[in-house]
Amino acid sequence: MDAVFLALSSQTRRKMLDLIQDMPGCSVGDVAKYFDCSRIMVMKHLDTLTAADLLISRKVGRRRELFFNAVPIQMIHDRWTTEYSRFWATRAIDLKHMLESRQQKVDP
Amino acid sequence: MTEVTQQISRVLIKAPIQDVWNALTKEGEVLPFFFGSVMHTTGLKPGAQLRMRTPNGKFTGVVGEILECNPPYRFVHTFRFTNFDDPPCVVIYELKEVEGGVEFTLISDKVPVGTKTEKNMAQGGPFITGVLKSLVETGRPSLGKRMLLCMISLMGPLSPARCRSEHWPLDRKV
Repeated sequence: MDAVFLALSSQTRRKMLDLIQDMPGCSVGDVAKYFDCSRIMVMKHLDTLTAADLLISRKVGRRRELFFNAVPIQMIHDRWTTEYSRFWATRAIDLKHMLESRQQKVDP
Repeated sequence: MTEVTQQISRVLIKAPIQDVWNALTKEGEVLPFFFGSVMHTTGLKPGAQLRMRTPNGKFTGVVGEILECNPPYRFVHTFRFTNFDDPPCVVIYELKEVEGGVEFTLISDKVPVGTKTEKNMAQGGPFITGVLKSLVETGRPSLGKRMLLCMISLMGPLSPARCRSEHWPLDRKV
């Protein structure tokens, strides 16, 4: 679990997961386009995500396809929530989003 | 053509590969990792029909056809929710022996983009993967999941009429 929290502790890596979730099967190049840093740096971040099992990379022919794996996050969620707390937490989050969307604020 | 996508869930299960395979392909028994459904097939072989039914057999939530069955490594079948009109997708289960257990991968392939099927598969993948892990490792699902399964079983009678099993016999191809 340490590896998951370490991987998620960087804003850049969280952004990478967002991108990969939106583009299942994308390549390293597809991800690198969105960042100013070197390709080696991008690879390093992707390695950290892979070590945490948040990223699955599959070789298809000569291409490498990237996929987001939600299971480690689901396991963290399962550990600290119950059906009861989830119900009320979801209500609180919905309320937060409803009120904040009026202010047009986006959480980084 | 409908635009399709792929989703992947993966977890390490600390158990012998045969145990994982047996849990995954068990017929005629409640499968907690598959939302408390019971799997019915016309045989674990390519071309066989597959149904996921409620324990009392009255409702059928998922229908499909087995495409590949290579115990204890790979199980592939088509997959369609009976309560949606979406085209079928393909579910691939891959089991790989690794240091310390089995790397279990669930791939939802050819998932139609922007459909209810896509949403359900995205939530279902991590659920199936996580519950199968705790079931094989500890003999039962985690507490939170047991409560959720209990709620699902209470909702059985609310299933729409189109999900009734008489509409989805095993001897008819889907």
